[in-house]
Amino acid sequence: MRSESQSADGEIVRAVLAGDRERYAQLVERYRDRYARYATRMLGSVDAAEDAVQDAFVRAYDQLAQCKEPDKFVGWFFLILRNRCFAERRRNRNSASLDAANEVAAADRADGGAENAESRRALQRALLELTPDQREVFVLKHVEGLSYGEIAERLSTSIASLKMRMHRAYDKLRERLRDHT
Amino acid sequence: MSGHELHPLVKQLLDGDITLADLPAELRAEGEAALRLLAGVDRTDVSMPAVTWRVMAKLEGRRRRFLPWLLAPALAIAAALVIWLVPRTPAPASLVTVRFVLVAPDAKQVSLAGTFNQWDPQATPLVRAGAAGVWTATLTLPAGQHQYAFVVDGARWVPDPGAPAIDDGFGRRNSVLTL
Amino acid sequence: MQQGTGIAQRLAGRVPPQIASLVQELGTAASARGLPIDPLIDKAIEGSAKGVAPERVASAVRLVAMQLDTAATALRDGGLVADTLAIAAGEFAITAGLSGSDIKALARTGANAVALTVGLRVAGTLAALGVPPAEDIGLVSVALRSGEPVSALLSLPANVQSAIAKGATPAQAAAGLARAAAAQAAHGPPPDRGGGHPHLPHPPTPPHP
Repeated sequence: MRSESQSADGEIVRAVLAGDRERYAQLVERYRDRYARYATRMLGSVDAAEDAVQDAFVRAYDQLAQCKEPDKFVGWFFLILRNRCFAERRRNRNSASLDAANEVAAADRADGGAENAESRRALQRALLELTPDQREVFVLKHVEGLSYGEIAERLSTSIASLKMRMHRAYDKLRERLRDHT
Repeated sequence: MSGHELHPLVKQLLDGDITLADLPAELRAEGEAALRLLAGVDRTDVSMPAVTWRVMAKLEGRRRRFLPWLLAPALAIAAALVIWLVPRTPAPASLVTVRFVLVAPDAKQVSLAGTFNQWDPQATPLVRAGAAGVWTATLTLPAGQHQYAFVVDGARWVPDPGAPAIDDGFGRRNSVLTL
Repeated sequence: MQQGTGIAQRLAGRVPPQIASLVQELGTAASARGLPIDPLIDKAIEGSAKGVAPERVASAVRLVAMQLDTAATALRDGGLVADTLAIAAGEFAITAGLSGSDIKALARTGANAVALTVGLRVAGTLAALGVPPAEDIGLVSVALRSGEPVSALLSLPANVQSAIAKGATPAQAAAGLARAAAAQAAHGPPPDRGGGHPHLPHPPTPPHP
């Protein structure tokens, strides 16, 4: 991340706290799509993800005074979004995740054809059957492309515990996908 | 054979810590299969343009002052929509009368084509005054940015010699009118 | 999709089918990103009216799309939230030869969206007159910072043109005007900005009955 945009974030946060509410839109514009994919893969549905991202931005605004490091708004915002995504899964534990997976895959375009679309759907379905912690480390590493070190920093946890979660996720995914073929 | 776990080396492969070449031969097939699993990951970008105005609309409701025309939450959202969804139009809309002139004594026909008339060479003919070959047209245009050129004898596109000119992207120049 | 119908209607009968679908595709994507679509439509219609080969029209339209992105990014980096008129004005400025940095510099003057849009149009027009970027941005920045009314901004190109007619180079003409404007700003009465943050959007108009 360019340091220039980091200081701009801090400047915006301070301006909003000083009363300039409209400038918050700049932060929303800047980061809404960056986390849209994470939320979508975590929740399995673009609609649910859009609600989650929206709620997270509103909550971040409400709690903006508690953002201890305005220059690091992004990391702080991510944790709010993360909590919101985890809360969603708890809420919807009983709802059919199959439909959600189909919805996500329906947005796939013709890159690869029917076979790839089906394998993407299958993997998304299987992802939704992991625990949120396992799904999250998988999404951050294999969808968002973060390293274990970066994930550890973001979640304030150790690389060792992340690898443990991930390796359990690999086993469960393989089991799920094997059962479906 | 459910319950059989992936070999730890294959997991390291998936983590990106080692490559297929690093795997012992007997694990290659399992490694490849596992990589195929990962290949099913959907990394397509997701865009949510609506989130911006929806968030700001929600924050709008948090105004402390009571604005008399924000009578109901529905109206508050509608008002926010005005800010964030509708492309801003200049207010008040102002019109400017502009006279276009081209000196072209040898031309049989001159017209004006530009952003204000869909670049249609037949929409706005100029009128010739006298033998000196001064062609003119007077238009009333909205304030804003316009580009145009003269079309001589239906075929030759000529920028206005007296106006600023920019590249038209097709090897010619357009004249610029900033009102 | 309503947006798509609008694009198709405006292109109907004016461009060949492959250009129409290209503009449809680019326009829908642009619109979803908060970018204006008029510049794309105008360029497609212009090329077709000029009898340009479709492949060349396609290239020109794609270039406009790229320049819209550059302008939007520059404005965002300069602190202006997505405003389609300002983005279109930025795209025009880029066509005229200015860069993303130039646009960002103007955005950073803190001018409100209306003034900045006019500022960008004027900056592009000055570039089209041959004013080099440094003097161009210098002059428009001074005018924007001193809170000059839109009419004063719009008269800058004509003033530069008459200075050129009297023998100045475009650079000299612009620099001279900038010095004069700065001097006036230093010694004249403080302009009334009417308060409020420069980047506040216009207050919402009351709903019509």
